[in-house]
Amino acid sequence: MSLEAPEPELDVGETPDGDLDYDELADLLGEHVLDREEHVNAEGFVIRPDSVETVLATLKEEAGFDHLSCLTAQQYGDRYESIYHLKKYDDPTQELSVVVPTASEEPVSQSAAGVFDTAIWHEREAYDLVGIEYEDNPDLRRILLPETWQGHPLSNDYNQDQPQIVPLREHANPMEKRTQVPDRSDTMFINIGPHHPATHGVLHLETVLDGEQVVDVDPDIGYLHRCEEQMCEQGTYRHQIMPYPDRWDYISAGMLNEWSYARAAEDLADIDVPEYAQVIRTMAAEMSRIAAHMLAIGTFALDIYGDFTAIFMYSITDREKLQNLLEDLSGQRLMFNYFRLGGVAWDLPEPREQYFQKVRDFCEYMPGRLEEYHNLLTSNELFQMRVLDTGILPPEEARSYGCTGPVARGSGIDVDLRRDDPYGYYDELSWDVITDDGCDNFARALVRLKEMEQSARIIEQCVDVLEDWPEDEREIQSNVPRTLKPDHDKEIYRAVEGAKGELGIYIRSDGTDRPGRFKIRSPAFCNLQSLEVMAEGEYIPDMVAALGSLDIVLGEVDR
Amino acid sequence: MTLAETISSALGLEGAVGQFVGGFIGAAIVGTFILANAAVAGPWAKRKITAAFTDRIAVDKLGPLGIGIIIPDAVRLISKELIVPKGVDRPAWDIAPLIIASSAILGFAVIPMGQVGPVEFQLADPEVGLAFVFAVASIASVGLVMAGYASNNKYSFLGGLRAVAQNLAYEIPLILTGISVVIFAGSLQLSEIVATQQQSLVELGPVAIPAWFAIVNPFAFILFLAANMAEVGRNPFDIPEAPTEIVAGFQTEYSSVYFVLIYLGEFVHIFLGGAIIATIFLGGPAGPGPAWLGLLWFLVKIWGVFLLTQWARSALPRVRIDQLIEIGWKGMLVLAFANLFVTAVIVGVLAPL
Repeated sequence: MSLEAPEPELDVGETPDGDLDYDELADLLGEHVLDREEHVNAEGFVIRPDSVETVLATLKEEAGFDHLSCLTAQQYGDRYESIYHLKKYDDPTQELSVVVPTASEEPVSQSAAGVFDTAIWHEREAYDLVGIEYEDNPDLRRILLPETWQGHPLSNDYNQDQPQIVPLREHANPMEKRTQVPDRSDTMFINIGPHHPATHGVLHLETVLDGEQVVDVDPDIGYLHRCEEQMCEQGTYRHQIMPYPDRWDYISAGMLNEWSYARAAEDLADIDVPEYAQVIRTMAAEMSRIAAHMLAIGTFALDIYGDFTAIFMYSITDREKLQNLLEDLSGQRLMFNYFRLGGVAWDLPEPREQYFQKVRDFCEYMPGRLEEYHNLLTSNELFQMRVLDTGILPPEEARSYGCTGPVARGSGIDVDLRRDDPYGYYDELSWDVITDDGCDNFARALVRLKEMEQSARIIEQCVDVLEDWPEDEREIQSNVPRTLKPDHDKEIYRAVEGAKGELGIYIRSDGTDRPGRFKIRSPAFCNLQSLEVMAEGEYIPDMVAALGSLDIVLGEVDR
Repeated sequence: MTLAETISSALGLEGAVGQFVGGFIGAAIVGTFILANAAVAGPWAKRKITAAFTDRIAVDKLGPLGIGIIIPDAVRLISKELIVPKGVDRPAWDIAPLIIASSAILGFAVIPMGQVGPVEFQLADPEVGLAFVFAVASIASVGLVMAGYASNNKYSFLGGLRAVAQNLAYEIPLILTGISVVIFAGSLQLSEIVATQQQSLVELGPVAIPAWFAIVNPFAFILFLAANMAEVGRNPFDIPEAPTEIVAGFQTEYSSVYFVLIYLGEFVHIFLGGAIIATIFLGGPAGPGPAWLGLLWFLVKIWGVFLLTQWARSALPRVRIDQLIEIGWKGMLVLAFANLFVTAVIVGVLAPL
């Protein structure tokens, strides 16, 4: 008997050293592949609109592309185009784009909903904003804009000046039944939100109850939609886009969001980032992550306990400490705007020793504090009674719904872009990816608590590195041209590990200093879609708990 | 002499007129006294206690320790607009807050609160005192259902249904546990129950441990405390309101004075729960020192129970509706019957031997 680990089975198209052999993938798909495009992150296979399901199913079953990361839709002069960004949960660096062009006159494409559940919402968004219709999508209606909206805002022929005032008689009755449940006399339809204490913002859950049990839940989002994508398309790469990411996940996770844009744009325009700046970025990002998780834990406890208890106050107190650190660093408490393409805005605050001391004090204080959270929360029997085995999200479902971040890791999926697709300074540091096989509300909360500990470890190591950095090598920004004009038709999809999961940006350059298409893959958007899996059949309080454990931020869901 | 009798004799009135006038003025005094306690509890003590549990400061600007906030808060609450939603079922919707508030106050009619000078601070002392207290206190459930059903709001409706389910599940163990005390005392009359607890259980040198039923039967005491928590709808049993689930339950649609009445009713209800606990388990107004300190001891005891409810609110997660019903019917009811049975055996079979 050999003690060697068995050779891992390779998917079709996977080389033994973990790269992709696109030729082999093209062979697998055979005649479905009409053309092949080069994107910066991966190759794009152009396919016919009526073979979407076959191609994606083949890629999922045989080539192991089990993660539909994102769907980008856009309109060119002569055609519409949907790009399915595929990845693997096992190795997110193996990427493949499936490009589906459709005719301008009749933008109809086959739906991928039969292969990936997450496609339902992504395609709804594409239909809503761009106007591509997806045949066989079980639920193709607007998702972000009101149902009466006229036109598709990101399409070329959209008339900005057209009034959107719709007379009441033409307006769809919001109370009209839209849920799939037959109208039975023993069920009750109830609108939870958009103004409700437990919806964490302006989320509207159209819920059908049978007594106290949830029969059907349909999240209605878009109340906080600002068309951030279009706003980013109107800004110049160099400076004008960076402030926007702060406004997606505004729960002090701004640094992480900024990094997603920075990473995509830097890779698109071939900008190098000095290592010193990467260390600062890593430290700032992890501070943001702890702050975001603190709020997640605090509000989750609030949902379970039902009152503003000590846990909420403690977590807000601790988040405040981080915000002070981030304020010292960036000058801002929430909308940091600290990252720049090619580095960060400015160096660490002077006197440096004092700042390092503050950060170190926090890192030392953190483990004891987390112990207290565990005492108050996870080892509380009543709390366990409430959250254990509720809001179950099995790993297969989590994959199909494109869940990432703590939600996926709470379902036992070992995925973390910081480790799997390294960026910044993460691969130089020692830290662990936390997973939990519980698949329930408890597991997701536990993962967040443990992740904070790891983040504190990362911050501490960053401080060690920064302290020893020679004074004359502290380069905070590389030399970046004042105006960036990436090559025409250069496309990229890049993601970072945000507080909620995979935060990805797709940028297509049209040769000017502004993006031709800017698409945000929001982790909270994808995670929220899995609420129906967690909530249906459970009691209302469990649905509220599941919602709390998803940790959505409506600014990021609606963008 | 009860408070009512004292007043009528002081006024020189006799017969039915004397009873009526004495009872009326006495009720006004007791009611005012209780409402004053609720006023301190609601806008001020609750905030201060919760703040202490959660590392905050809370009100501290007006008066010593911020106690002056009661006045602006009262003005604020009363001067708010009363919004009557479309389609509410009047007058049920208007009567519900009154029922909730009055049923709780009514219970205090028979509670012996100790001596003030020569006068017993107790409005009436009927022979069925304990039964009366339980009876009027549970009228509040009717108010909750009315409020929930009449509000024409699905959240209120859910809250109303939850309130009924909860009260049914917890009132039976509550009363059964109360009955075990009655078996010990041999009377439903509250003054009698208090008097029974005055005897010494054991003498430890100069200190005499009184035969308070909490000491005689601590199991029943804890059972009663827990059931009472559900009865007054506080954490972990605050599911009829459950803000994070059903907004505010039965009181979702109430504003201004109606809201104040419901809120007030809840606080008085907590105090009534405390008063029952103090009376049947903690020796009523008994305590060390002279007899005229009785009212003070009584207040200490009911505020102790209030503190306990606020502590639970800051520390315990809310249980789910199915768990709540399960705890009530499968756990506490069985324990309450066991307690009743054992008490009956001890008192009826073993004690005479």
